[in-house]
Amino acid sequence: MSSTASIATNFIAPSQRGSVIRFVTSYTLPLLVAAVFAVAAISTPDFATFANLRAILINTSIVGIIAVAMTAITISGNFFSLGIASSTVLAGIVFLAVSGLTGSALAGLGAAVMLSVALGILQGLIVGAGLNPVITTLAVGSVIYGLVAITTKGAVVTAGSVDVAWLATWNFLEIPLPVYIFVLFIAVAWFLTEHTLIGRNIHLLGANRATARNSGISPRATTIWAFIAFGVGLGVAGALNASQLHQMQANDLAGLTMDVIAAVLVGGTAVSGGEGSPTRSALGALLIVALGNIMLLHGLDNGWRVFLVGGIVVVLVVALHVLRKVSTR
Amino acid sequence: MNALSDVHFELRAGEVMALLGENGAGKSTIVKVISGLVSPDKGSIEIDGTPANISTVSLSQAAGIAVVQQEFSTVGTMTVAQNLVLGQQGAPWWWSPRKLNDNAVAILERVGLAGLNPSTPVEELSVAEMQLLEIARVLARDAKVIIFDEPTAALSDAEIVRVLDAVKRLASEGRSVVYVTHRLGEVFEIADRVTVFRNGKSEAPLEVRELDVETIVAKMIGRELGHLYPGKSATFGEVVLETRGLRIPELRSEINLTLRRGEILGLTGQLGSGTAELMEALAGVGEIVSGEVLVDGQTLNTRGRQNGISAGVAYCSADRKKDGIFAKVPIRRNLSSPWLHRLSAAGFVSARQEVDETNRFAAHFAIDAKRMNSNVGTLSGGNQQKVALGKWLGINPRVLLVEEPTRGVDIGARADIYAQLRRLSDSGVGVIVSSSDTNEILGLSDTIATYFRGEQTSIRPADEWTESALVREVMHREDANHV
Repeated sequence: MSSTASIATNFIAPSQRGSVIRFVTSYTLPLLVAAVFAVAAISTPDFATFANLRAILINTSIVGIIAVAMTAITISGNFFSLGIASSTVLAGIVFLAVSGLTGSALAGLGAAVMLSVALGILQGLIVGAGLNPVITTLAVGSVIYGLVAITTKGAVVTAGSVDVAWLATWNFLEIPLPVYIFVLFIAVAWFLTEHTLIGRNIHLLGANRATARNSGISPRATTIWAFIAFGVGLGVAGALNASQLHQMQANDLAGLTMDVIAAVLVGGTAVSGGEGSPTRSALGALLIVALGNIMLLHGLDNGWRVFLVGGIVVVLVVALHVLRKVSTR
Repeated sequence: MNALSDVHFELRAGEVMALLGENGAGKSTIVKVISGLVSPDKGSIEIDGTPANISTVSLSQAAGIAVVQQEFSTVGTMTVAQNLVLGQQGAPWWWSPRKLNDNAVAILERVGLAGLNPSTPVEELSVAEMQLLEIARVLARDAKVIIFDEPTAALSDAEIVRVLDAVKRLASEGRSVVYVTHRLGEVFEIADRVTVFRNGKSEAPLEVRELDVETIVAKMIGRELGHLYPGKSATFGEVVLETRGLRIPELRSEINLTLRRGEILGLTGQLGSGTAELMEALAGVGEIVSGEVLVDGQTLNTRGRQNGISAGVAYCSADRKKDGIFAKVPIRRNLSSPWLHRLSAAGFVSARQEVDETNRFAAHFAIDAKRMNSNVGTLSGGNQQKVALGKWLGINPRVLLVEEPTRGVDIGARADIYAQLRRLSDSGVGVIVSSSDTNEILGLSDTIATYFRGEQTSIRPADEWTESALVREVMHREDANHV
């Protein structure tokens, strides 16, 4: 029996498993976005106008910043935050209130970001201690909504006479500031994910929690960092949104949570964690917003838009599940 | 791995047939074939003299075959009586609690659980009672052939007696039993015949009453050490790891081990002997009751992996897929995962340094530099294990703890992994290997510590052992009370 003890020094070529899903996730989305824009440009009058495309970009910047930030949570294996809408409303209200008190929109922005990061740390601590992230964020989101509704008594909050609109309207080459902030946000998120210890550890934690722990990566600290990143995105997006609208109330942004989750999923980030990228979530956000815009131009109301976003998520989750099954067989 | 070739297996009505063999010898594969989980490529299966099709689990069950798995299939929150009718075909959709309990009492009696209240929730039972309940569930199906897959692996001596009694009772009712085990004592106590598996082949069944321990051990070993293993170390350096009065829940006595530079210390024992828990405790992921672990004379904080990693303690777990590798992540990023902080300044990872260092370590473990960006999950078992080991080179290890270094690894890659472990040891790293494969422990280690049911039974230089003596030591201690 000992005659077979030859020494193998070469790696066996990796099988083709997984290459299908890699192809799908790396090329389908950009092609799909291009196809949707091309078809819409031909079939929908008013779509390919500068004003409309700019409107799409402005709307994408809010959904996109949050989607990019939430990708950290999803990649780390902690699924999604289900408290996005109320957290963003809170950030917006804090932005308006603090801007109104101090007379400075920048102070309002700072306060919104700081409060969102603090709430992120709080949720990160709870989830990092091993509690279910879906339940935690849903519950915290509900608490936030309740607090906002109680404090504002359901009334509209504004910044009074203080000018907060410049944050949303200042523009360069006729493109307003939020779009530039969005682009900057994508670049920073990409760099953090690929080139920093925290970004890499977030990825490894989601890829295999037990291996990460055995490799000396702290699941708790890493989870908290992912929620901090998420908090920064929420704070910025909330402030920008409030600055666009000049006002905010507890019941605003009802469909936002689903839009953001759809953007992350369309971007191809694995629900189970360990795979995905913030850049692709940004592209996902662009697609979701563009589809809503097209429906609006065709005179379909918001019900249809919500229906479509939900439908896309269901189809995607099923398709990706089947694809992963097939490619790892 | 090609698990089985050319197996002849037969079972008479009313007999207990034991299956023996080392890990990976083919025992579990034959169990899977009989229970319908795996279809053989060739050959035929006959039941009562007529060809039978048992290629799926339901066909196998319909033919009267039942398997008592190592993992429990009971539902903890339901009562014993409810669990007994759970998933039973032909059971009515509603039984009164009284009828349910009466039905249960009759079955429980037959497996030695006569005193058990059928209304007890299953989660309140002991492990042995759950194992017996598992047998009762099979009885409720009225199976002709019952397969046991190491039913006593996790049980204490007194509990083992209860399970063995239940098995004997089944055989006396005329049922046939296939009994997979790692414990020689049990073979002599309950089996009529034994089939020994070796390297995916089976020997003709032997009558147990015509056998003694030596003959069975010789049948099981049957292969030479050959040139599978590298040479041994002649001299050792200073002590690099020491345990003082170390107590862990799974071991009954204090553990005092010394590991020197250049030494490979082998820990061996069956599943449930305590070696796995000892390794976890040393690595900082297991529970320690009292005592201390010293690395280079410094007390090691054994809470969490981070402390061990900074002290230079590397740890390769037994189940690499579960907690040893990141399957969805490229080789390079697997290799750098435990020491990424060392490549970082102010939180930013130096990509160039990462490439340089991982390439160096990959070369050390004969990992192809061109494949560094392939996901580890796409590699063979042997190459995955090289990554699981190689990722520790970057922490500048003082001590390397490796559990089951070649589980699921083909023979060629095994020789390679042994050679790497010896090279690391020669370079001054203290190496502790734990394995239930006695052949591997004997071939690789300089010093061997043996464990048997929660007790360290010996610690001696490897050259004082023969393989058959070592197999007897870990499988068949003379003082094991039920033999």
